[in-house]
Amino acid sequence: MSTTKYMENTSNPLSTEASDETLIGQFKAGKTEAFDFLYHRHLPSVYKRVRYVVPENDVEDVTQEIFIAAIKSLPSFRGDSQFSTWLRTLTNHKVAEFYRKRTRKQEPMLAPLSDANAKITGNTSKTMEERVYLQRALHELPENYREVLLLRFAEDLQFNEIASLTNQNLEATKSLFRRAVAALRAHLDK
Amino acid sequence: MNDIDKDNHIADFVDGKTASSPDPELVQLEETILRLKSTLPSDAPDIAKSKQMLVRLKARMKREEETKKIPFWKKLFNFQANPQVGMILAVAMILIIAIITVPSLEIGGSSNPVTGTANNSTSLLIGGGLIGILLLVYWIFRKK
Repeated sequence: MSTTKYMENTSNPLSTEASDETLIGQFKAGKTEAFDFLYHRHLPSVYKRVRYVVPENDVEDVTQEIFIAAIKSLPSFRGDSQFSTWLRTLTNHKVAEFYRKRTRKQEPMLAPLSDANAKITGNTSKTMEERVYLQRALHELPENYREVLLLRFAEDLQFNEIASLTNQNLEATKSLFRRAVAALRAHLDK
Repeated sequence: MNDIDKDNHIADFVDGKTASSPDPELVQLEETILRLKSTLPSDAPDIAKSKQMLVRLKARMKREEETKKIPFWKKLFNFQANPQVGMILAVAMILIIAIITVPSLEIGGSSNPVTGTANNSTSLLIGGGLIGILLLVYWIFRKK
């Protein structure tokens, strides 16, 4: 289904109660407005995750790219995993792509932050620099460490939910989490 | 305190179920957790912002679709949008025609009459052909 077809349908006769699977089925059947429901349902978790790892100015852009990629790939989504899991993987790919492009352009992670930028976001320059510093440290962590920190902090999932998502037991998840925090601490102390 | 106790303590600390530990190693981890919580935002966009973002997403997709529909070569040869490209092509064609046809117009021609005649007529044919192609291209683009 093309993105044009999606844009032409803006009415919302579908139910907000419908499951992801139902909405995906309706989207594939041509009811493109079903994507609006999926968007509103999953935007908070995608946005929070992106905002946690990407500089403020690029958050909406990266979020848009994730949903555009989702629209394009949804017709081939087979439902082998949950939609939220699929979207989380897509989010990670897009964030990684963002950093690859940024490295190619040789834009430093710790770019000088203008006062104007700080005023727009309502933050002080020091807070913004601390934020970029932490985001860089997170980005440099091994993937399993970064993932458990994002699931707990960015998505606000409980440890039993993280354990279920990552197919681990609760003890292993808590252990991974503590090691991830320790690794982050080590990166910050460098 | 063994590793399992440490894991449980850090997990409980994040969940707000326990106070700070006296263990210096755990204190460092607790500080890192507090630093993450206080610095990195974890708030979701409100309903109004979500709707605005959806509108902007659709607008972006529309723009991208429109840009994708026009092939590169059409954009390049859109002389109204890119008059410089038209000008460069015209100058290039005139130069090519001049290079090919000027020898045939030389007074006196070649010292070898047979070879010179053949070269001159070939050059004139190529030049004429190029002018014809130029006129044809111009006519096609003018028609669109």
